[in-house]
Amino acid sequence: MTKVLELRRATKEFRGVPAIRNIDFNVEAGEIHAIVGENGAGKSTLTKILAGVYQLSSGEMLIDGAAVTLASPSEAKQRGVAMVFQETNLVPSMTVAQNIYLGEEKIFNRLRGLYIQAQRFLLSLNFYVDPMALVSSLGAAKKQMVEIARAVHHEARLIIFDEPTASLTPEEKFHFFNLVRRLKDSGTSIIFISHALEEALLLSDRITILRDGELVVTDATANFDRERIVHGMVGRTLSHELYDQDKPRRARAYGERVLSVQNLSMGSIVRNTSFSIYAGQITGFFGLVGAGRTETMKIVSGVLKRDFFHGGSIELGNRLVRYRTPRPAILDGIVYVTEDRKVEGFFETMSIAENIQIGNLARGLNPLAVVSMTEARTLARQWTERLGVRAIDASAKIIELSGGNQQKVVIAKAAVQEPKVIIFDEPTRGVDVGAIAEIHRFINSLADRGIAVVVISSYLPEIMALSDRVLVARQGRVVEELDIAQATEERIMFAAVH
Amino acid sequence: MRALAGRFKVTQEGIVFALACVLFLGFAASLHGFLTSGNIIALVRSVSILGMLGLGMGLVVIGRGIDLAMIATMVVAVSWAFSLAQTGMNFDLALLVGAGFVIVVGCITGILVAYADVPAIFTTLAMGLAVYGVGRAYFFKIDVQNVPDNAGWFSFLGVGRVLGVPVPIIAFAILAAMVYLLLRWTRFGRFVYAIGDNLLAARIAGIPVRNLIVAQYVVTGLIAYAAGLVMAASVASMSTRIYNSTMIYDVLLVVVLGGVSLSGGRGNVRSVLVGTLLVGVLLDGMTILNVSYTEQNLVKSIILLLALIADSVINPRDEQTAQQQQGDI
Repeated sequence: MTKVLELRRATKEFRGVPAIRNIDFNVEAGEIHAIVGENGAGKSTLTKILAGVYQLSSGEMLIDGAAVTLASPSEAKQRGVAMVFQETNLVPSMTVAQNIYLGEEKIFNRLRGLYIQAQRFLLSLNFYVDPMALVSSLGAAKKQMVEIARAVHHEARLIIFDEPTASLTPEEKFHFFNLVRRLKDSGTSIIFISHALEEALLLSDRITILRDGELVVTDATANFDRERIVHGMVGRTLSHELYDQDKPRRARAYGERVLSVQNLSMGSIVRNTSFSIYAGQITGFFGLVGAGRTETMKIVSGVLKRDFFHGGSIELGNRLVRYRTPRPAILDGIVYVTEDRKVEGFFETMSIAENIQIGNLARGLNPLAVVSMTEARTLARQWTERLGVRAIDASAKIIELSGGNQQKVVIAKAAVQEPKVIIFDEPTRGVDVGAIAEIHRFINSLADRGIAVVVISSYLPEIMALSDRVLVARQGRVVEELDIAQATEERIMFAAVH
Repeated sequence: MRALAGRFKVTQEGIVFALACVLFLGFAASLHGFLTSGNIIALVRSVSILGMLGLGMGLVVIGRGIDLAMIATMVVAVSWAFSLAQTGMNFDLALLVGAGFVIVVGCITGILVAYADVPAIFTTLAMGLAVYGVGRAYFFKIDVQNVPDNAGWFSFLGVGRVLGVPVPIIAFAILAAMVYLLLRWTRFGRFVYAIGDNLLAARIAGIPVRNLIVAQYVVTGLIAYAAGLVMAASVASMSTRIYNSTMIYDVLLVVVLGGVSLSGGRGNVRSVLVGTLLVGVLLDGMTILNVSYTEQNLVKSIILLLALIADSVINPRDEQTAQQQQGDI
C-alpha cells in the first residue's frame, strides 16, 4: 500500500519539554487508523502536527513520499489533510450550505444555486442533511457530517478526528461509523483519536498506542485485544523515583465519613454519580477526559451548581447541603484548589503574602475589618516555609515565580482556610519535579492530620503514589471504587476506558 | 515582558507627575499671575470636585467596573434634596432622602452588573439616562435648583475656610484619606482589588463577589453625592445641565491618566491624585491663556486617548493575550 503521510523521528518540544519524542508513524491510503493513549500521552500533539497546527521541533514529515513542512492548517488543507476538532469550527448562524462553501463566495453570491449544489454534493456523500438548515439547529452528529462534508469538499485525502464520538448518542455513533467506512471505501484515509477502545477495535484497520510521548506500538487491529491495548497504554517505561511503585506504603485507615454524595447530576456532564469521602485519608479520583471529575468536585465545593430538579443530594456530616457559590462551602470547610491556577487560581497583581492572606480574609464576615500587615507577614512566613516556596521574599509578585512556586502559593491560599475537606484538582500540572515532591509531601501531611483529601489526577502514577483509596469515573459517573491494596494501574485504566 | 511592563507601569504615574511639574513650572515662568497663592488655591479648589468624583470612579474601576451614571446620580440626588427642602421639608432630612436615592440607584446598578451579568459600561450608561429622566420627569421641574433658605450650615461647605484653606479642598483631602484607608487597610478594599484582578479566583477563594460588586456601586454613588453637595455649596445651586456636559469624561481622564487600569486591580488613590494634579494644572493654565472651551475639550480628549492607549498597551484587557504574556505553565 502507498503511504499518504509519514513521520520520521518526529519530536515536538514545548519550552524544551518534549510532548512527543522520536515518533515514526505512517498512514496508508484508504485505511482507518486509531490512536489511543492516556491523557497527556501526546495524541493531540501528534495529530495537530499532521494538521499543520504545530510544527515539528525535529524530524521530518512526508506527504506522498516528499518532505514537507506545513506552516498552517490551511496549508495542510491544500495538501489534502483536514482535521475535525472536538468542538466544531462551523459558523452557527449560517446554513449548512454556506458553511460548506465558506471562503469561496463570489461577489454576487447566488444562494439558490449554492443550495442546489450543496444538496447534490451532500447526497453524493449519502449525508441526509438539509443544506438550508441553520448549523445551530443541528445535532452533534449532523454538525460532524457538515464538517466532514467540508473536508471532503476541499478534497481531503486524510481526515483526522479528535474524539469524534465523545458527544454522540449511540444511534449517531452508528451513523458515524457507517460514514467513516464509506469514506474509506472511496479511498480517503482516516485517523481517529479515541478513548473508547471498543470503537477502535471495531472500526480501525491499524492501531497506534502512545504513552508518555513515545510510540509504543503500531499494529494491525486483528492482533490486538482489549487487554493488550490497556497494557500498552499504562506499561511504564519511565522509571521515576517519585512514583516508585515498590516503595513500601501502608494505606491510612478510614476515618469518619465526612461527605456523602448521592445521585449527583449536572446536564450531560455529571450523570447520577454517588460516592463518599472519608476523613484522614487521600481519595484519588481518576478518569479520562470527559469523565466529569472536575465538574463533580466543583459542584461539591459550590463552584458549579447541580441540576435544580433531580440534581441529587450532598450530605456533609449528617447535614444536607446545597451551595450556590463557593463561599458557604468554604465557611463549612470544603475547599477546592483549581487545576488552572492562572485563570482561577491566583491574583497576578498581588504579592505572595497578599495572595495567601486573601484566603484568610475571605473567611471573615465584617467587610470593614482592618487588614493586619503583621498577620500577612506571619502567614506568609509560616506557609512559604511549610510548602517550601522559593522566592526572594514574601513581597515578591506571584507572577514572577515559577509554575511550581505559584502552585504552592495557590495551595497555601486554600490550606490557610483550615478546611475539613480539601479537593486538589491536578495539583502538579505544569509543575517541576522538585516541586511535585514537596506538594505530595504536603498533601500527605494534610491527610495525616485528619483532613479528608481528594486528589483529582489524570496521571496514574500520581494516583497510585498518593491515594489510600481510588475512585474511577467514566462518562460522568463514579464506576469503580478500589482500596489501594487492590488497585493496579491496569485495573484502574480498565475501569476508566469504555 | 511582564517585568518590563511592571517597571514601565511604575513610571506611568511618574511620567504623569513629571509632566504635571513641567507644565506647572512652564506656566509659572511664562504666565503672569499663575504663581500666586490666590491662583494656586483657585487651581486646587477648581479640581477638588473633579478629584472627588475621580476617587469614586477610581474605586469602581479598580474593581473592574465603570460608573458612567455618576454625574446623573449626583445631579439628580442633590437637586431632589434641594427641591424637597424648598417645599418645606427639613433640610437635613432632605439630604438623607437624597442619600437614600443614591443608595437605591447603586443597588440597582450593582444587581444588574453582578447578578444579571450586564456589562458595567452599558448598565451605567443606561442607568445614567434613566436616573436623569426620572429626576426631570417626577422629582423637580426646573433645571437649576438653588440652595434652599433653610440650609444653615450648608453654605460653609462651599465658601468656608479653615485656617485659610477653602473647605472644598479640605473635603477632597478628607475623602482621599478615607478612600485610601478603605482600599489599603480594610477587607473590603482587598476584595475590590481581588475582584478587579481575577473575578474567578476571588469567587473560588470564597469572597462574596456579587455582594461586593453591589457595595462598590453604592460607595461610588455616595462619593459622587458628597462631591455634588460640595459643588452645589460653592455655587449656591445645582444645575442639571451638568449631566449633558463633558464632566464624566473629565472624571475618566483623571482616573485613567494616573494609571488606574481599566483592566482592573491596578492603581490606587495616589494615581487619582496625580491624574487630578495634571488635569488641574492644564485646565488652569489654559484658562489663563484664554484657550476656548472647545479647544480645551480637544486637548483633554487627546490626552484621554493617549492615556487609554498607554493603558491598553501596558495592561491588555483581553484575558487571552494577558495570559500569553504571563509565560510558563
